[in-house]
Amino acid sequence: MEKLIDFSFNPKSPTLLHLDLNSCFATIEQQANPRLRGKPIAVAAYDSPAGCIVAPSIEAKKYGVTVGMRVRDGKMLCPHLIVLTPDPAKYRNVHLQFRKLLENYTDKAIPRSIDEFVLDLEGYPAYRKGMINVAREIKEKIKREIGGWLTVSVGISTNRFLAKVGAGLNKPDGLDVIDKNNFRDIYSKLSLVDLCGIKTRNAIRLNNAGVYTVLDFYKASVQKLKAAFGSILAYYWYVRLHGWEIDNVTFGRRSYGNSFALPKPLLRVEELAPILQKLTEKTGMRMRKAGYVARGVHLAIAYRDNSFWHKGVSLPDYIFDSRDIYKVAFKLLNMSPYRSPDRNLAVSCFNLERVKNMQLSFLEDFDKKQKLVNAIDLINERWGNFVITPGGMLGTDNVVIDRIAFGGVKELEEIVI
Amino acid sequence: MRQVISVPVSVTLEYNSKSRKVLPKLVHWDDQDYPVVRVGYHHTFREGRTLFHIFSVDTSSLFFRLRLNTNNLGWTLEEISDGEVD
Repeated sequence: MEKLIDFSFNPKSPTLLHLDLNSCFATIEQQANPRLRGKPIAVAAYDSPAGCIVAPSIEAKKYGVTVGMRVRDGKMLCPHLIVLTPDPAKYRNVHLQFRKLLENYTDKAIPRSIDEFVLDLEGYPAYRKGMINVAREIKEKIKREIGGWLTVSVGISTNRFLAKVGAGLNKPDGLDVIDKNNFRDIYSKLSLVDLCGIKTRNAIRLNNAGVYTVLDFYKASVQKLKAAFGSILAYYWYVRLHGWEIDNVTFGRRSYGNSFALPKPLLRVEELAPILQKLTEKTGMRMRKAGYVARGVHLAIAYRDNSFWHKGVSLPDYIFDSRDIYKVAFKLLNMSPYRSPDRNLAVSCFNLERVKNMQLSFLEDFDKKQKLVNAIDLINERWGNFVITPGGMLGTDNVVIDRIAFGGVKELEEIVI
Repeated sequence: MRQVISVPVSVTLEYNSKSRKVLPKLVHWDDQDYPVVRVGYHHTFREGRTLFHIFSVDTSSLFFRLRLNTNNLGWTLEEISDGEVD
């Protein structure tokens, strides 16, 4: 018989602080250009009508402009919406300023994305000031040292999940604590879909098991939740909602990849090949810089008709040269059975290893190839990316431009102070 | 309205040894002087080994995005904006 799991809400004092920069990219743009402050603006992947909005400002959100909306729809809701394209270097710089500031409080300041950090103050001198006082001090320092227009929402709790929930309670510029004294009150004001990780499908699963509110969710036994999720997720949710830590895990790097949303529908392989080549060049360069070689290549294509095709191949030998990655990816591209215009192209390398001595081959001089690739990487590093590129990449200057991964934290490892 | 341009520009820079801050004071562009009212943000990035400083500054009539190339100490005006819709 399955052992019953039953425990109460975590009684310890909160030591985790979740910090979320409000409307990140848009607020940074308003910080840089004071003339945009107080106005509805949106940062979009492209400023064309079909461009996807990645960050509306607090003022634009009041008009109903949301993340993921097309520029044309945003302008319908808010005709005087000012649309800007992303400036990744500026956002990374703000991220680094945040990191520097937060590292004064704890060395456990973990970035969760470009605009989110989690601080664990347990056992650190700053904890003695009181969590709320630390949060207020950080807010003030951000305004004084990074930018007066920047606001952050802070959540404080006993685990990472509830600290994030707390940061989302009162946006912008909020400061909320969720602990053993007030969790019931806060849960009673939330709906299931307000919880990060619960959207319509999971809410339906929970409804089918008789869970309709967050309080129901909290009170439900693991067995009941197992009936809803049918997996270990039931236990994870039980632990999270009871204020105990389950999300303190970091996953290692398992792949390197780059993708590109095509601004116009491309169909022919000849049109797609240069873009694929640039994607493989970027992927290869990042992978080599981190000291990895790969034994697998994966290609994913999303089509305009919403169909999707992907294929990955494991390779007998390690590869590191972008030209070799391209050869495999190009073969995969030709294997696609679909012949409809593409919307998105993504290439990645997997089965990563850090190998010092490669298996020698009779057919190829790996040593020579490695020296050549290293030399090209050094030249590109010295003079800027893509100074030396394959001829096949000609004409791709304005495609696969620098972007910040959506919600990703892996690329943040590549940002250095 | 926002306009992306890329032209060399004259900039007067001030270094304060007490606060250890460097601030652009005046932008001379298109035969006009624009005294800088405030610096919105200052950030840096690298292209290869060359370090660039970007100053986003506001004047009484226009916003300027200025780029300083630390390799040749040349200034480029990258963008102007009046903060209104295009």
